Amino acid sequence: MTQDIPMHDVVMVGAGPAALSAAVYTTREDVDTLLFERGVVGGLAAVTDKVDNYPGFPDGIEGLTLADNLRKQAERFGAVIELGEVSGMKREGDFIRLETTSGDILARAVLIATGSDYKKVGVSGEQEFYARGVHYCATCDGAFYRGKRLVVIGGGNSAVQESLFLTRYATHIDLLVRSTIKASEILQKDLEQAVKAGKITVHLHTTTDEIVGQDNKVVKVVGTDTKTRSKVDFPTDGVFVFVGLKPNSEFLKNSEVELDSIGFIKTDKHLQTSMPGVFAAGDIRSGSTMQIATAVGEGATAALVIREYLDGKLTPVAETTEEVVVPTV
Amino acid sequence: MVKNITIFTTNTCAYCAMVKRYLDSKQRTYDVVNLDDHPERQAEALALSGALTVPITVVTKEDDSRQVVIGYNLAKLAPAITG
Repeated sequence: MTQDIPMHDVVMVGAGPAALSAAVYTTREDVDTLLFERGVVGGLAAVTDKVDNYPGFPDGIEGLTLADNLRKQAERFGAVIELGEVSGMKREGDFIRLETTSGDILARAVLIATGSDYKKVGVSGEQEFYARGVHYCATCDGAFYRGKRLVVIGGGNSAVQESLFLTRYATHIDLLVRSTIKASEILQKDLEQAVKAGKITVHLHTTTDEIVGQDNKVVKVVGTDTKTRSKVDFPTDGVFVFVGLKPNSEFLKNSEVELDSIGFIKTDKHLQTSMPGVFAAGDIRSGSTMQIATAVGEGATAALVIREYLDGKLTPVAETTEEVVVPTV
Repeated sequence: MVKNITIFTTNTCAYCAMVKRYLDSKQRTYDVVNLDDHPERQAEALALSGALTVPITVVTKEDDSRQVVIGYNLAKLAPAITG
């Protein structure tokens, strides 16, 4: 019976920067808003040591603090965050029915902002030593490596940022980069300083082939120098992996929401998905730039568009001209 | 019945904050062992969990049996703190 099921104007799946930003906008306009978060409120931003490129913080800000501030701001206006998981959704008349760990709920509109998570590197030993020498969260597990050697895998912003964070614990870090460093200029300068100080050694054009353990502990990583085609051993006490991001969209596989070939959500110019009334914002959206600042912007845009949708004023994209007028507050 | 709950944490661990938030939402009291402040207790966390990670939540029942939850895992944490 539909009338027995809790109903909300908007349900947001995820409570990272995109959803929290959207919730600030919807709740300030008294739109009843419920957020579901299965992991960390604040998403990947919350597990990032320091955020240096989010505007408004001249000295940067700890990711956990930024996430907490976003949460507090959304909650101040009435956003409710439920700790649980959405496992599926389907249209039911004028509503969307969501299956959740707290039971089914109905929403007039849904914002999917589930973000992305760190990929696995996919080599032997990775699964076997998960959380016992192989890690994906430096801010969580770095403290176990005081005075130890580490290997970090990856060459993007996260790999470099988290390597720099880990230097506060580890005596030395070998950074294994499959091709070249792709991190921002500012991070590369910080990396240079750490290399000069002898804290980090960068190994470019080096693949990761195997994580090797002995007596239930990680003891080395075996890689290949792709220029010389020679195998290289990196003795280590632990491995941190930051080799890119994968979309958190598994729960949509049997839904009407269309995904791209990688699993990110396709949206139109209104950030609406192929399922009417369902919108997407932030890292989960196909074409996203994977930045906190853009996720926050997309969240705000989605909230304004959702308001138009709830008021019955959102023109289907097929009927619009090329120029889309984004609604304003 | 739960006798006490102890969480092993670090200063920068977002998942630890989530465990605390969840226990707060269920009106559960708990002790915190911050491994940044007490690195000498890392071995204890490892012995209890077999994992080099935080959060580690140790739920001790009235009969002194223990349930150890590794990470922020609501599917395991929720039943551990009930009954």
